[in-house]
Formats: sequence, structure tokens, C-alpha cells
Amino acid sequence: MNIARSIRISRKQLAAHKLRTALALTGIVIGVSAVIIMVAIGNGAQQEVLSKIEAMGTDLLIVNAGQVQKSAGRQQIRGTVTTLALADVEAIARECSAVKVAAPVQSKKIQVKYGNLSTNTTVVGTTTEFQEVRNFRIAAGAFFTDDENLASRRAAVLGQSVVNNLFEGRNPIGETIRVGRVPFEIIGVMESKGVDLNGADQDDQIFIPIRTALRRVFNVSYIGAINIRATNTQAMRQAVAQVSELLRDRHRLNKQQKPDDFTIQNQADLLVAQRETTNTFTMLIGSIASISLLVGGIGILAIMLIAIRERTNEIGLRMAVGASRKDIMTQFVIEASILGVGGGLVGIFLGVLGAVVVRFGTSWAVTISPNSVALAFGFSLLVGLFFGVYPARRASLLDPIEALRSE
Amino acid sequence: MNNNVIQGTNLAKIYNKGGGGEVGAVQNVSVEIRRGEYAAIMGASGSGKSTLMNILGCLDKPTSGSLKLDGIEVSTLTDEELARVRNKKIGFVFQSFNLLARTNALENVELPLIYSDKTDISRLARHALESVGLADRVHHNPSELSGGQQQRVAIARALVTDPEIIFADEPTGNLDSKSSLEIMALFQQLNEKGRTIVLVTHEPDIAQHARRIIQIADGRIVSDEVNPNPRVAEQEMSALLPKEVAHENR
Repeated sequence: MNIARSIRISRKQLAAHKLRTALALTGIVIGVSAVIIMVAIGNGAQQEVLSKIEAMGTDLLIVNAGQVQKSAGRQQIRGTVTTLALADVEAIARECSAVKVAAPVQSKKIQVKYGNLSTNTTVVGTTTEFQEVRNFRIAAGAFFTDDENLASRRAAVLGQSVVNNLFEGRNPIGETIRVGRVPFEIIGVMESKGVDLNGADQDDQIFIPIRTALRRVFNVSYIGAINIRATNTQAMRQAVAQVSELLRDRHRLNKQQKPDDFTIQNQADLLVAQRETTNTFTMLIGSIASISLLVGGIGILAIMLIAIRERTNEIGLRMAVGASRKDIMTQFVIEASILGVGGGLVGIFLGVLGAVVVRFGTSWAVTISPNSVALAFGFSLLVGLFFGVYPARRASLLDPIEALRSE
Repeated sequence: MNNNVIQGTNLAKIYNKGGGGEVGAVQNVSVEIRRGEYAAIMGASGSGKSTLMNILGCLDKPTSGSLKLDGIEVSTLTDEELARVRNKKIGFVFQSFNLLARTNALENVELPLIYSDKTDISRLARHALESVGLADRVHHNPSELSGGQQQRVAIARALVTDPEIIFADEPTGNLDSKSSLEIMALFQQLNEKGRTIVLVTHEPDIAQHARRIIQIADGRIVSDEVNPNPRVAEQEMSALLPKEVAHENR
């Protein structure tokens, strides 16, 4: 059989019922575009999360004081643990070979005032190593040095949001702000970092020397966390083991057989976990969208059954002039596949368009995955084939005499 | 080579076989159609003439009996093989034309060739349309053609594979008398050029155009005679409307 010519004639029959054909395709179109859009949104979210983790560095370890418990996806520290000390930071930097650099962190939300403007912001007491550990860079002025920390200077480095809130665009360097009641001189401004994994604004922070913070602002002698950068990503596990061993030793937990009074959060593990979570999520929404592809297939099934009833006479004629049952079967399977492919192509177009609209209409990151496009298209072709076989078989089994007699 | 295009021996078609009400649509029919013949199968509706045509045309299989088409026994062929036989050796013309709507004359005529192994499809289809006098209607859709023209497209479709035999089932049933005569004239022309034609009809006037008339009643052949004086469709047309028809036929 000359398939190309047969298809040309089939196409005319499909085109003759434009509305019906369009309706038959709607299911497939919606299915394919839904898969593409959903997976694009899922991928976008994944990449955003991963890029945030990677921006912090995959060789980053965070030691939190106390047992960190995750509830509803948020980290919570139970109670106040006062055992983590500045001396621990120095010991880690000195004794752990897999640790490149470590910085203490003690932070709290405090009211900060400049003139008659005030803002509630996170005040972070740390050391100059913080810049290296967390990839924070100075935009203007300077970060405080070790000497300034040792001298407990009242120097502050502001995040961009704080500058915006208090100075409304003016240059803050050299000005004096009050943190609680303590006056601080502004010596630098940080580069903008955006929001972190938990959605907190990383620019809504001010950094002050840890010694000044403990003594003058927080009035405590312990620290809440230690940020550590390992020598490289491969040394992460070793670094975790070394830090854990050292802290247990220093806090005398081994002798008393007590559980850890700290929790080490490993960015590399977090990365893997997040990737798995978002992959699962993407697969989930992808498979929900696939259900609409299946529904679309049933649309094709219905339309093919109607078409065959309506074209019974044509089928009889084709048989009379020499079409074998196999020829009739082939023709209708191909017609159904054309519907599937046609719906797939329109769906891809609308899906990509939809993803672009979502991209610019919302603040969501949207990444169109070529795999999902190929998958959705292949699936629509398969659905067309699958749901085309049954009607095609029915057509091929018609009795030519009765078919010719029908109107 | 056998001179009989069709040789049917003791053909029978029995519906509801083995059931209570057996119906013998065709009973013990033996018939031969020679090459170059123009035969009419005549009978009232329900006489079994259509069933006989379907069997002879390989659309239906006889319950019993032997049917040789062009020397080949076809009563035992599979559906696939019968499709090949229909495609190569048989052309059909139906009462209701059975043209594909929204498909132009050329493509309608190409249809049988799609299922053949022929390659120069368009040229053959064009040639067939020329032979029925529709060279200037090649790209017209059926809805743009008169009934007579539509039936001529259908005849071109039957001719395009150069079949051994053409079966015409009430080809004038849906046509006015003038168009009917045109179609009968066309069949006579084709037969004069050597084409074997079997005409199935219940109208004696139409059957009179054939050179042999086979009468069927109750599934049996009741008479089979040479028609000594076939009507000549072209003469009838001149008598009907001399100027107009002469002009139209050029």
C-alpha cells in the first residue's frame, strides 16, 4: 500500500471535521502542555534550591549548639545549650586537618536605630573568617579584622536590606547606628546575597565582631553555631568526623556517655536530600500530568470510533477496490497516531509558551527540561497508537458488503 | 488461457446455515462470463442478483460451489488474497457512486492504485478520467459534479487498474433518464473496446442495453439468453433531445 497517499486522503477526512478533531486533540494538548509546564516548574524549583545550596558551598559544615530537630521542614533548636564556646572554634581550626577555616556565629534579632529610623534585624556576631566560610563579599568599605575583634571594637558591617531600611540609599559608611543601646560605627556594606533556603533575607543582617557581640550586645559567653569550610568537598565526611570527635572530647561527652550537645549539618548531604526531594516532587507532578495524557487518549479513542462509524461506507469502498484488512487497520492506526502527534506538537508549543508565561508572570524559576518535552511527545504518540488500535481493528473487521450498503 | 473470465459452478449462498430458517439467497447457480461479453443480470429485488454479484465480484464467499476468476479458483482464497484479486482483476461501479467527499476526482480515481503496486498513479488516474470524458474535471470535488459526472468518475475508478471485468450494480439507479443513457452509452463504448462488463439491474429498459441477459428469480437462473437487438444508448440520446445531447456529447 502506498501509505503516503493514503495518509493524504485520511488527512482530508480529519480536516473535514475540524471542530471534532480539535476537541479530540484537546486532551492530548492539555496533557502534554501540563507535563511540560509542571516539570518545568519542578525543575526550576529544584535548580533554585540547589543553586542556593551550592552558593553556600558544598564544602560547608554548620555546627549548631544542641540537638537540632526538624519539624515541618524547619530547623528548631530545643532549649538553650550553652556549651559551645569560642575556644571550640579555635580548637577546630587548629586541630582538624580536614577543616580549612571556621567562624563562630551568635545571632539574634535586635532593634537597630539610626537617627529616628529603626529596623528589626538579625545581628550576627562573628569573625573575619565568616567571609571566607560563607562566601560573603564586601561591597563597600571593609569587614572587621581579627585585631578589631580582639579589641572588641564597636564596628558593624551592614547587609543591603538594612542599608535600604535605615539609610534609604545614602552612603552609611562612617555613620553611627545603635544596636540595642550600644553605638556602632559602620565600616562596611556587604554584597547582596538574596534569600536563603528557608526564605530568610540574607541581606537583612548586620555583622559585628563576636567578642563585642558577646560582651556588649548579647551578654552571654557561649555561641550558637560554628560555620566550617572543609578543605574540599571530598574531605567533608572526614571533617564531620574530626569536628564531632574533637567537640565530644572537649565537652567531655565520651566519658559520661552523653549524646552530642551539638548537631553538624552537612551541606553536601543536604544537597543530596534536596535533590531527591525535588526529584520525587517532579516525578509526582509529572505523573499526575500524565494522567491527563491518558484521558486525552480516551478522547482519541472516542473520536476514532465515531469516525469509523461515519466512514463505514468509505471503508467498504476501500475494501471493494482492493484494500486488505491489514491496509484498513494500518490506515486507522496511522490516523490515530497523526492525532496523537498533532496533539503532542500543539501541546509542546502551548507548554513552552505556558512555561514562559509562568516564568515572567510569577517570581518562580522555571526551567523547561528537554527530557520532559521528548517524554511527553513520545507518550502522546504512544497514546495515539494505543487508543487507535482498537477502533482500527473494528474498522478492519467490517464486512465490505454491509459497509458499502451503509450511508 | 481460458476464454472465460468467470466460471462459476454450482454456486450457493445460504444464510443462517444449520439454523432453523435457512435462506438460500443463491442456489446452485452455474454461470460463465466470457472475455469481452456485456451481460446483464436481471431480477426483482430480493431475487438474489446482488448476492450473486457479490460472490462473482469476490466481495463475498459462496457457501458452496466453485468460482474461477481468470482461471484461478477464488472460492478458497483468504480475505487478504481476495483483496488482491479485487484490486487487480475487478472494477466496481455502484448505484450511489461511493465517491469520497471533499476529495477531488483525480484522488478518487487514484484510490484503487494506492492498494496496488503501481507507481505512476497520477498519470494512470488522469488517463482513466480522460477515457470517460472528464479530462477537464480532474480537480473538481464530487459536490461540484452532476450525478452523471460523478458516476463517470466512479467508472474511471473502476477502469484505472485495467481490470479483467467490471461489475456495475444498478449504475443508473440514482440518475435521471438522460444521465442514465450517457452512462449506458459509456458502457457500450467500453464494451466495444473489449471490456468485459456485468450489469446488475432490476430495470428491463436498462438491461436491454446488454448483449446477454441473465434472469434471476429466487436465487436461481431462470433464463440466460443472447439479446438479439440491444438498445443503442447513443441513438436513444439523439432521439431524446437531439440538439442538446449532440452538443453535450460533441
